[in-house]
Amino acid sequence: MTKKLFLIAIILCLCSCKTVDIDKALDITLTTIQATETAARPISEEEEYYVGRAVAARIFSYYPLYENPQLTNYINSIGKVIALHSEKPFIFGGYHFALLNTDEINAFACPGGIVLISRGMLKLVKNEDELAAVIAHEIAHLNHRDGINSIKQARWTEALTIIGTKTAKQLGNEEVIKLVNIFEASVDDILKTLITNGYSRTQEYAADEKALQYLKKAGYNPHALIDVLQKLAKNTKSKSGLLSTHPDPLDRINNLKDKIPPFSLDLNAFKKRSARFNSYVKE
Amino acid sequence: MKAMKFNFIIKLIILLSLIATFSYAETVTVITKENAIREFPRFFAPVKALVKYNDILEVITKEGNWFKVKFKNNIGYIHKTAVERRTVLVRESSLSRKTSTTESEITLAGKGFNPQVEKAYKEKYPEMRYDIVDKVERYDVSDKELVSFIRAGGLSEPK
Repeated sequence: MTKKLFLIAIILCLCSCKTVDIDKALDITLTTIQATETAARPISEEEEYYVGRAVAARIFSYYPLYENPQLTNYINSIGKVIALHSEKPFIFGGYHFALLNTDEINAFACPGGIVLISRGMLKLVKNEDELAAVIAHEIAHLNHRDGINSIKQARWTEALTIIGTKTAKQLGNEEVIKLVNIFEASVDDILKTLITNGYSRTQEYAADEKALQYLKKAGYNPHALIDVLQKLAKNTKSKSGLLSTHPDPLDRINNLKDKIPPFSLDLNAFKKRSARFNSYVKE
Repeated sequence: MKAMKFNFIIKLIILLSLIATFSYAETVTVITKENAIREFPRFFAPVKALVKYNDILEVITKEGNWFKVKFKNNIGYIHKTAVERRTVLVRESSLSRKTSTTESEITLAGKGFNPQVEKAYKEKYPEMRYDIVDKVERYDVSDKELVSFIRAGGLSEPK
């Protein structure tokens, strides 16, 4: 009897659906679900992109851009080939590669896809495969989200409480001011990691290991990464730049020695790459 | 026995009502600023249509790392990393068809570190070199150039 009554109640409910706006009810339900998801979400790729732009804008206030259209196009070609062979060929704003006009030996991966290579680094590497190894290492940091993950968790938690679950399209002035302060602090966190403290040893090793895979997939000699690290190890004069933020190159070589994937080097192709490297970089 | 039959009929009616009311069409949403739908599931295949962030594409099939999709009467392929599955419900009836959650979803997802925050940050620190960042973001290499670069250097074409 109870069952019958229950079924009759369901039928009545279904009949009454005519007068209920199902669309609206579902919208409310879905919005609530999304709001709950948003409240605990990680930083999105789009947000990472805006943070990365700010990081790059700050770096460009320390180091000038080196403008050389042919060389820039060459670096971008190498970078894009490697990115297409990575696990994330497409990211929100795409990958972009630029040169910094400084003799300091350095390279930065700004979250969101901008990779900056110093002219000092260009002088250190001796062929295209070595340059590709440097770029591959930076792309690995991007794909591992090492930069964005250096934002203190408490900041993002605070940001999420401000973002809240309101459905208004734009934030109010007060909310924007608070978010800008968190945004600024987040950019500082990343810059501190990139320029002063460096990533953890684990993150560096992981980026090196991933770089070997990217190089092999793209057709570059993975051993070129070891060659670059050896050059860095010999460059004991400069303790600033990359050497001050990365583990000892010899430790990095040691970590990689059993991990180099088998690779059959096509000498003819290598010579062609080296020739174009010389024409763009060493001229 | 009668009660069992009655029970079954009611359950059937409920099920059919639900099927008639809703149907789920699998869609994916573009998550890059811009991208392309290509003729074949290859990075350098000819472009059939350009898509932009938040465009919703109807999924036909998935082939390896590529989705075969339909967008504005164009059928082609887009790489899986350029899109994501979102819980967008497409309600379909014989008379009308609409996507219902897109706007609220965009509102919630877009309310974080976004152009509004960047604008306020730029105003606070006008010395930041966003002009150079914009210039760097304009650096691009065409598909044609990239293919020649790969071939000339004996590199591997991405799949």
